[in-house]
Amino acid sequence: MYRGREGQWAFYLHRISGVALALYLLLHVFDISLVMWGPDGPFNRFLIFYHQWPFRVGLVLIMAGVVYHALNGLRIILLDFTPWAIRYQRAMWYGVLGLTAAIGIPVLFKVIPEIIGGA
Amino acid sequence: MAVGAPATRAARPRTLRDARAAYGTNAELAWWVFMRISGFLLVFLTFAHLFANNILMNAGEIDYDYVASRLAQPAVRVLDSFLLGLALLHGTNGLRYVVDDYFRRPQARFWIKAVLFTVVGALFVVGVMTLWTFTFDEMGDAIRNLGQ
Repeated sequence: MYRGREGQWAFYLHRISGVALALYLLLHVFDISLVMWGPDGPFNRFLIFYHQWPFRVGLVLIMAGVVYHALNGLRIILLDFTPWAIRYQRAMWYGVLGLTAAIGIPVLFKVIPEIIGGA
Repeated sequence: MAVGAPATRAARPRTLRDARAAYGTNAELAWWVFMRISGFLLVFLTFAHLFANNILMNAGEIDYDYVASRLAQPAVRVLDSFLLGLALLHGTNGLRYVVDDYFRRPQARFWIKAVLFTVVGALFVVGVMTLWTFTFDEMGDAIRNLGQ
């Protein structure tokens, strides 16, 4: 822990979400590549496995990670390339969290019924 | 700190001016700039990708036919190709920072990165094959057509 204030949490969340997204990306490229074996190949069987609810919940977390990492990344770009943003870095981080929730909560209303519906 | 620990890089620069001062014009500065440019572009590419496949679509109903319908669209192939390349580079470089931060033994750093870069290189090839030929049958057709 380094000082443990907002900047520290912004960094940890950025790093954890980034690692998770990178590992997910590797898995995702692999699983989509299974379509190369054609319509009777392993793709559909693999996808049915991933449509089970624990993986759908995991996908929701990945989407939340994308939104946070993207918005906090924009905050980092502003910090790096403008002279004024550093004064508002704390406020901008709360803005990132607020926007992540503002985008994420409507998505939950769409996705949770799908998961409970057992698609 | 362990005796003989490698000289880990100091904390990464926080501003463009610091980065120039720290790196001059070497590869690390290029990666620093790349992370910001690719990150900015990836915001739009990933949001569009997620909107199409998780909001307009029920992700629990994605199957072979859906992927086929997506990849039949040239625009999807082009945008997903940029997404594939930029995301793999951005993610791999990010993981490289993480490895440099948390692994001190030179051998561990070398092998983790060697495996990482090999896996990512292979997945990039596989991803491009998937996006542009879609199935092995089409790949065979494409290769045969090249000979004619």
